[in-house]
Amino acid sequence: MSKVIVVTSGKGGVGKTTTTANVGAGLAALGHKVVLVDADIGLRNLDVVLGLENRIVYDIVDVTSGHCRLRQAIIKDKRLPGLHLLPAAQTKDKTAVSPEQMQELCGELKKEYEYVIIDCPAGIERGFKNAIAGAERAIVVTTPEVSAVRDADRIIGLLESSGLSSPELIINRLRINMVKAGDMMSIDDILEILAIDLLGVVPDDDEVVISTNKGEPVVLNEKSLSGKAYRNISRRIKGEKVPFLNLESEGGFLNALRRIIGLK
Amino acid sequence: MYGGSTNLNVEDFFDDNTILVQRTLRSGQSISYDGNIVIVGDVNPGAEVIAGGSVIVIGALRGMVHAGASGDANAVVIAFKLLPTQLRIVDHITRAPDDVENLLDEMVPEIASLKNGVVTIERWEVR
Ligand SMILES: Nc1ncnc2c1ncn2[C@@H]1O[C@H](COP(=O)(O)OP(=O)(O)OP(=O)(O)O)[C@@H](O)[C@H]1O
Ligand SMILES: [Mg+2]
Repeated sequence: MSKVIVVTSGKGGVGKTTTTANVGAGLAALGHKVVLVDADIGLRNLDVVLGLENRIVYDIVDVTSGHCRLRQAIIKDKRLPGLHLLPAAQTKDKTAVSPEQMQELCGELKKEYEYVIIDCPAGIERGFKNAIAGAERAIVVTTPEVSAVRDADRIIGLLESSGLSSPELIINRLRINMVKAGDMMSIDDILEILAIDLLGVVPDDDEVVISTNKGEPVVLNEKSLSGKAYRNISRRIKGEKVPFLNLESEGGFLNALRRIIGLK
Repeated sequence: MYGGSTNLNVEDFFDDNTILVQRTLRSGQSISYDGNIVIVGDVNPGAEVIAGGSVIVIGALRGMVHAGASGDANAVVIAFKLLPTQLRIVDHITRAPDDVENLLDEMVPEIASLKNGVVTIERWEVR
């Protein structure tokens, strides 16, 4: 079972950090021991999304450069006992860590944790190469926009040629009303181009922004639709078969989404 | 130029100097070969295929394709879903109509060839 998972996208701002935080919290809430690795050196974010910024003492560069031991740099989450974070350095850049060091680091982490989830920076340069170096499994995040899908496609090609041959897809920020009106790419449109397995679809949801600002992953919010989507994704990552959400917010049980993804 | 159909034979175009590519070309990937190229998979937007001879895509062609790149005006492009961002034969360029969406949604094999200096696209009837 592959445990080191990189969350990547190509295009910036599509939801990698949000996905990493929520999937990590989701798996921890299911009782797993999880560590999240912020590989976005210089643009540290994951700690903020998790509300852990004020607990950082050491960071990933301190570990790889030998300034501290791995254990000293890892922070425990304040809510979930299984959740841990290895923060990025904010005052360094991507070249402060090498792909070989990342491989070694992931090798160490997977001895201790059931899931190691790496938040990849945007782009296809050094930061991306570092983030995927130690990964055994990849999740590609896209939004339903032509440019994001194009970049996701590019990333899938790069992952495949790096030996991460079956990346899985998360479609983030879907707006079912816009899809229905023909103003947004549908799940089908996206899958037709990318042709990889769908791990889940997360609706565009104000609750994500609210909870991000509060430093509380939305996956822990029982009432939100996006939280439900992340809980389902977490279970699918474990290998459970979970039916896809109906993302239609009103109108009862009309399965707009199921229809779109061909389940109905 | 769209319209009509043709039942030219594959053997009319694809000789021994042909390579087989058995995967989808994704954005940023490219293949070039001074001969014919057969692709079993899709050519996605942002990918490019450049052939000295002809190109056949057993899948959807949505990227850039250049056939007859070394001057062969008899070169053709065949795809099971022909929706290229841009298609060139020798130095004649054509691009997808801007309203591609309503144009072709089904899988209809089509062939692009040069006729009197114009890239012409026809349905391709397999014989
Ligand atoms: N499903 C969603 N609904 C609403 N807002 C969202 C959703 N997912 C992400 N966002 C918002 O989009 C913004 C970008 O998200 P995030 O930081 O996770 O992207 P990223 O891919 O990590 O960005 P970067 O490339 O800069 O690292 C954030 O403000 C986040 O709150
Ligand atoms: Mg991020």
